[in-house]
Amino acid sequence: MARLPVIAAAIAASASLLAGPASATTSWQDDLSPIAADEWNAERAAHLLARAGFGGTPEEIEKLAAMEPEAAVRKLVRWQDQPNAPLAPFLPSQVFPSDDFVPPLDGDLERIVFRSILFRGGLGVDVRWNFSEPFLQPLFDQFFYLLFANFAEMTRVAHWQAERMLLSERPLEEKLALFWHDHFATSNEKVRDYRKMMRQWDLYREKGNGHFRELLLGICRDPAMLVYLDGQRNVRGEPNENFAREIMELFTLGVGNYTEADVKEAARAFTGWGLDDNDFDRSFWRHDHGRKTVLGRTGRLDGDDVVDAILEQPAAARFLAAKLYRWFVREDASPETVEALAASFRESDYDVGALLERVFLSRDFYSDASVGAHIQSPVELMVSTYRKLGLREIPGAPYFATTAGAMGEQLYMPPNVAGWPGGRTWINPSTLMLRQNFARHVLFPQEIPPPEKSLMETVVVAVVGPDIYEQMKRMAAAGDRSHAPTMSMQDMGFARVQEANSEAFNLAWAVYNGAEKAVGAIRFDFPPPARFSLREMLAGAGVRDVDAAVDHLTGRFLRLPPRQSDRRALVGHLRELSGGDDLDLDDPQTEKHLREVLHLILSMPEYQLT
Amino acid sequence: MTAVTRRDLIRAGLAGAVGAALPPLWRGTALAAESPGPVLVVVELAGGNDGLNTIVPYRDDAYHRARPEIGLASEALLRVDDHFGFHPRLLGLRNLWEQQRVAIVHGCGYPNPTRSHFSAMAWWHTAVPGAAEPFGWLGRMADARWPDGRPDTLVNVASQESLAVRSARHAPIVFRDPRAFARLGDPAAGEIYDAMTRSRPGGETTANLAFLRDIARTAERSAATVREATARYETPIRYGSDAATLAVDLRNVAALLDADFPARVYYTSMSGFDTHAAQPSSQQLLLMYLGDALEAFFADVDRIGRGDEVLVLVFTEFGRRVAENQSGGTDHGTATPIWLLGRGVRPGFHGAFPSLADLDAGDLRMTTDFRRVYASVLSEWMGVGDVAGLLRGSFQPLGLRAAS
Repeated sequence: MARLPVIAAAIAASASLLAGPASATTSWQDDLSPIAADEWNAERAAHLLARAGFGGTPEEIEKLAAMEPEAAVRKLVRWQDQPNAPLAPFLPSQVFPSDDFVPPLDGDLERIVFRSILFRGGLGVDVRWNFSEPFLQPLFDQFFYLLFANFAEMTRVAHWQAERMLLSERPLEEKLALFWHDHFATSNEKVRDYRKMMRQWDLYREKGNGHFRELLLGICRDPAMLVYLDGQRNVRGEPNENFAREIMELFTLGVGNYTEADVKEAARAFTGWGLDDNDFDRSFWRHDHGRKTVLGRTGRLDGDDVVDAILEQPAAARFLAAKLYRWFVREDASPETVEALAASFRESDYDVGALLERVFLSRDFYSDASVGAHIQSPVELMVSTYRKLGLREIPGAPYFATTAGAMGEQLYMPPNVAGWPGGRTWINPSTLMLRQNFARHVLFPQEIPPPEKSLMETVVVAVVGPDIYEQMKRMAAAGDRSHAPTMSMQDMGFARVQEANSEAFNLAWAVYNGAEKAVGAIRFDFPPPARFSLREMLAGAGVRDVDAAVDHLTGRFLRLPPRQSDRRALVGHLRELSGGDDLDLDDPQTEKHLREVLHLILSMPEYQLT
Repeated sequence: MTAVTRRDLIRAGLAGAVGAALPPLWRGTALAAESPGPVLVVVELAGGNDGLNTIVPYRDDAYHRARPEIGLASEALLRVDDHFGFHPRLLGLRNLWEQQRVAIVHGCGYPNPTRSHFSAMAWWHTAVPGAAEPFGWLGRMADARWPDGRPDTLVNVASQESLAVRSARHAPIVFRDPRAFARLGDPAAGEIYDAMTRSRPGGETTANLAFLRDIARTAERSAATVREATARYETPIRYGSDAATLAVDLRNVAALLDADFPARVYYTSMSGFDTHAAQPSSQQLLLMYLGDALEAFFADVDRIGRGDEVLVLVFTEFGRRVAENQSGGTDHGTATPIWLLGRGVRPGFHGAFPSLADLDAGDLRMTTDFRRVYASVLSEWMGVGDVAGLLRGSFQPLGLRAAS
């Protein structure tokens, strides 16, 4: 009981601190009227660029601030009118045997084995009967090769995609693609074809800011989605409801705005919408041509009719407006704000660009409740760090895909069809440290530890274990490439296994061969670690002393100003390192000192916010 | 302007640490009074373990007929009653069974099962099959039990946070290698960072900033505890081969229990169970590792006096098909047994074994919804009141806890 007064005092103190001084921007909360030209400044332009893009350098922010707010927002939202310096196309490693090759899915191996025996040539390798060695071995080798190579290639795509986010002069095009990837969450883990995943993102770039109906019709025909939510398995007489359910629950309406009967009937309407090789194909024979009723609409409906029936529901505009608002502005959306946005969204025939223009111009967007309220996702954190540093390429180390993945957001691999829950779920003690360690490695790349294991070893050990990997490595080094075990199984590390049989050997050997081929097939053409000079950055800004240096760095990297006590700590540390108030920007040691201080700034809780 | 030295700051930080000892806003205040409760350790078998070759219905001719190549001979099994035998390599499990510490629920599943590893695992994680629930059942458990948040409640031994522990109000501790659970950097700057982090909260303009400060403040301490507890832990108990990641992970769990770490859930995972080909050789190794690690873990927690508190749940995302395939393996199937281990369990078999004669297109028909097992864990051990709300539906607990 003695603790209670102390706690009450602490809460009272915190509450008064949280209230803060009253300002114009507090009262702007939930005010959707547009901000005036004389309220437009660099701070607000920085906020806009952070949310509608991935942040930028002070120079980029100044350029935006010099425009009228309407023009600045329009430049970002209507990116089709915005010239864009050509971005480098993705240079594939040629993972698949041919452009129209259809990669095997989870659980397909049995069928492939049978087909290969009957027709030969499964998975792009020729398999022939042979009594002297396991004749299916090349097929198993190829299966694992395709699996590993596709996953590895996808990480190269992620690197390339991050570079688009870094360099594009249409940052919202890429930011909105990330939003739609989260919304229509599709995972390469199941799709197993990086090309389909890339095509899905092309759709987002093409239609992301247009009328939602067009985008939704595209998603219904999207090859990655057809694999991911089993659309290709949805056929007349045996409907698969996976896509029909998610299109209503997650993509448009939300739970409670449709019935189980709607799901069943919608699944029938989508029957026969599948794939021919890797392309969308509507099969007349697999489609259920009967009458259906979905959301009150009756007839011989197909998928397009379902889309129209859905978009007639007022719940659709509400659901989508709320989701866009939560993602781009802040998580605690007021019902009135959502209702107002939903009404205009519906009137505009679901024009996503028009909705975003309204949001990005609103006083609510620039209110205290919104600025610095968003916890950056790992991808946002990494790309915005690089943008604020003024980099012109994504560094090869730390490796983009796996670093973002370790922090919880591996591109093309959302945790499930609901996407990334975001917000506070990005942060736990481990991911916070990983974020701080990411900053460390950007600033001090020489401290990046060399990998303990090669990629090859990592992949193979993960599947067959360290002992068998070592044995297979020895066997491969000895030049023995036969597909049959030549050493005794005991020697091969199967000693613990009483009934070790050649199947076990063959499978492990296929993992080894497949991984080796995959590592050889992937182009490892990554740039070096980040190159930048904080001394040049500060010299360019006219900075001469430690106070100004800390102010420039915090102003450049933090959307929220640091506490006075934190600022004093940063200045004090830089002063101690430099031995005084003056900064010698010609001294290479100063670079190290500045990086130490910047690492502290990038480790602050404020840096996780934008 | 007066110079502030590092030493000043550290001193200020230490003063601030007194402030940090006050419970933050989002945290409960009744922790100190709370009595130690059960600790749930989950062992996830990733890939879909073949339940039929794990808990074998050796009396059933249909079993032997369906599996001419990979079926286990009755005489080789560790027979525990007139109907069932454990896989010969599950000596560890058999020893725990003889100590009356094992409950096995047959035929667990859910309606309209998926064969996708990814979807199936996500559904076991969320306990809401067929839907896209953003939080895990254990994350929701923590939120239901401690709505104001309780630090260090969920531990996930993994390189990435599992959906099962994802929570709206709790930040799970996630690590695989405890030594790597550390903030890198220059020691001098580290002292500045610690002082900044420990200093009294204030000036948080948004709730998310207050949340981040709170995590930052506790992260260093949690990580240090994890690193130190696991590094200094010494035990005479042998956990079996270190090639088995589970042995290492469970040893680390025991180390944290020994250090009185306040977690109530430890989530671990062991992979390799996707035995499409050559199943006998790989599965027997995995089951040996599993059984040995579990037996050692219980011996260890007994040794440190925590044996009464620990409940272990072992599950996999699906069983495998009844008939073997042409590669000496099995393909993705449906129903699967769940194991509950601990002193408090009502030992023995529970639920009906699925019929091998009445199959659903070659698959076992589930006899017990897995959420009934979850419901038992939640209500009979973890003290959750509104289990139906948590599981998004009403599931009758199975009465798996022995009357004490």
